[in-house]
Amino acid sequence: MDLFLQLLITGILVGSIYALVALGWTLIYKCSGVLNLAMGELTLIGAYVCLSFYQWGIPFILALAFTLVVGFALGLLTEHLFLRPMVGEPVLSVIMVTVGLSFFFKGVVELIWGTDTVVFTPTIFPIEPIFIGKVVVGQVYLWAFIASIILLIAFVSFFKYTKWGLSMQATADDEMAALSLGVNAKIVYALAWAIAFMAAGVGGTLLGNINGLNISVGYLGLLVLPAVVLGGLNSVPGAIVGGLVIGVLQNLADGYISPFTPGGVKDVFPFAVMVIILLFKPYGLWGWVRIERV
Amino acid sequence: MGFRPCGVYHQQYHQDHAWWQTRFVWGKMIFLFIVIFYLFPQFAGLYMVSVFNIVGYTILAAMGVQLLIGYCGQVTLGHAAFIAVGAYTSSILMLQVKWPAFLVEAGLVYPISLIAAAIVAGLWSVLFGLPSAKVKGFYLIMTTMAAQFITVDFIITQYVSQVGGRGSYFSIPPGTIKIGPWVIDNDMKYYYLAAILVILCTFIMANLIRSKIGRAWIAIRDNDIAAEALGVNIVAYKLLAFFVAGAFGGIAGAYWITNLFFVSPEHFLFPWSLWLVGVILIGGVGSIYGTIFGALFMTLIPEGLKALIFILTQSSFILDLMPFLPLLLEKFLYVKEAAFGLAIALFLIFEPNGFSYRWWQMKNYFNLWPFSY
Repeated sequence: MDLFLQLLITGILVGSIYALVALGWTLIYKCSGVLNLAMGELTLIGAYVCLSFYQWGIPFILALAFTLVVGFALGLLTEHLFLRPMVGEPVLSVIMVTVGLSFFFKGVVELIWGTDTVVFTPTIFPIEPIFIGKVVVGQVYLWAFIASIILLIAFVSFFKYTKWGLSMQATADDEMAALSLGVNAKIVYALAWAIAFMAAGVGGTLLGNINGLNISVGYLGLLVLPAVVLGGLNSVPGAIVGGLVIGVLQNLADGYISPFTPGGVKDVFPFAVMVIILLFKPYGLWGWVRIERV
Repeated sequence: MGFRPCGVYHQQYHQDHAWWQTRFVWGKMIFLFIVIFYLFPQFAGLYMVSVFNIVGYTILAAMGVQLLIGYCGQVTLGHAAFIAVGAYTSSILMLQVKWPAFLVEAGLVYPISLIAAAIVAGLWSVLFGLPSAKVKGFYLIMTTMAAQFITVDFIITQYVSQVGGRGSYFSIPPGTIKIGPWVIDNDMKYYYLAAILVILCTFIMANLIRSKIGRAWIAIRDNDIAAEALGVNIVAYKLLAFFVAGAFGGIAGAYWITNLFFVSPEHFLFPWSLWLVGVILIGGVGSIYGTIFGALFMTLIPEGLKALIFILTQSSFILDLMPFLPLLLEKFLYVKEAAFGLAIALFLIFEPNGFSYRWWQMKNYFNLWPFSY
């Protein structure tokens, strides 16, 4: 039971980071219909930018804020240069543009920052663990959880209460109607990418704080795909719940299945879950069901 | 079927079915064969030959991707998994099975393992193609991606690699790989093997495409509902496409082990799957030429770029001008990756039909030249 609680809580804490990144992914899909496979590399870029700021001696909170600014700018730029010309092209082409972007970003990151694992020094979060009952939780995880929850709340309230958020929701719901009501779709698309970059950047920074930062953080970014498939591609609550569930499942699999295998279950299990979901409930928990013949 | 020059009349069906219909095409093809099998290996030097081994491998590997994406419309982002299955099947058969002495003497072990690799990889591919009966588009992409991670990162890395207790990679003793009396042990021989396999696979693929099967695949790609209304059994043909594509992947994998004499899961990671999709996108989707052009472009351009940077670093004047060049050479792998990503994105934005479309335009231009109307 203790083991179960331990795994559950660790899973939720890590899952909150996935939820944050998945939120960015869902946003892009909802607003512009682009299935983004470059999410992992967006987390990488954000994490390395934050690391660079931090190493220049800027306090962590401020560095994180700067990362958000850089992410915002990069998001606008990426959307304008690569995704704007692809509006109206077949879905596969758009997906492959994001694949191209993922290679490009990864190459650039490797070129600028190298491939060695780097850690945030001096360490930001104290190493001493916290005991909640019998459950041991690293402070990094706890702070990452708190940061993700704050950002999740910030983003969700942005959608609910601001003019731009509402116009993004409107575009996602019915683009034609939104256009006729005077919503500027171009700005909405750009904004979606900017927010995705920001969310991924913070997610990457937090992940980098947990295990040190190297290229494999980008693979962790791929884990958002099972999360969004579970939650339903175009559902914001789905992305959040999906992220948390994937985090928990991953940790449970690591705890209970790993002893019977040579290893590696932790990385693969979310994808195995995804295949099962796709076979039985392809539109996830809250995704829009499109009835189509296959 | 393309244009025929003036004055060429067909009186028999077999003329219409012929692969090479005019003397000019015959001449061109014979010339091509001479170049591939004699002139190129004779005069190109060992380095270029080894580069072309990679080209051959890329063509073999991308052929299946081309079939699935370009002809059947089933996007796959996990093809490296099937190549890995082929490579491991072949090497396990060669290393772990006690073959009867006469088979070893006759040099049939490698050919048998090659065929077995094709079949096993094809069946493995069908297994992951099964969801295509239920989902399509993005969801299918997700399942093929899952195939990649489940197969390579889990099953092969954690279980298959441990077979025989050799650690994470299998190494194949020299002299094991032979076809009949022909021992394949140097770059030149890999080159000939690659040439033969590529020609064979291209031939099979081209024949499939112009048969009933190929037309069914193209119908599914263009409009699956209409195809079903016309009596095409969609699920069966999709699974057949997965099988054939996987089999091409298996052949590519079995070829790859001859090239390196060992096999490791690291050769078949997710980026390689994406790379293969990039190859056909740049070459042209839905065209066999596209596979070949794409493979040539993606292998030769980086090599050329590397050679160019290397030559530039040799002159001290240019080195003063651009002091970052040696660093670029040192980190060339990353430059290549970034350039490749950019190339895919730019090709899709500016030249979505790839090289094969330009090739087609060029051919048409010269067909009608000098009177273009």
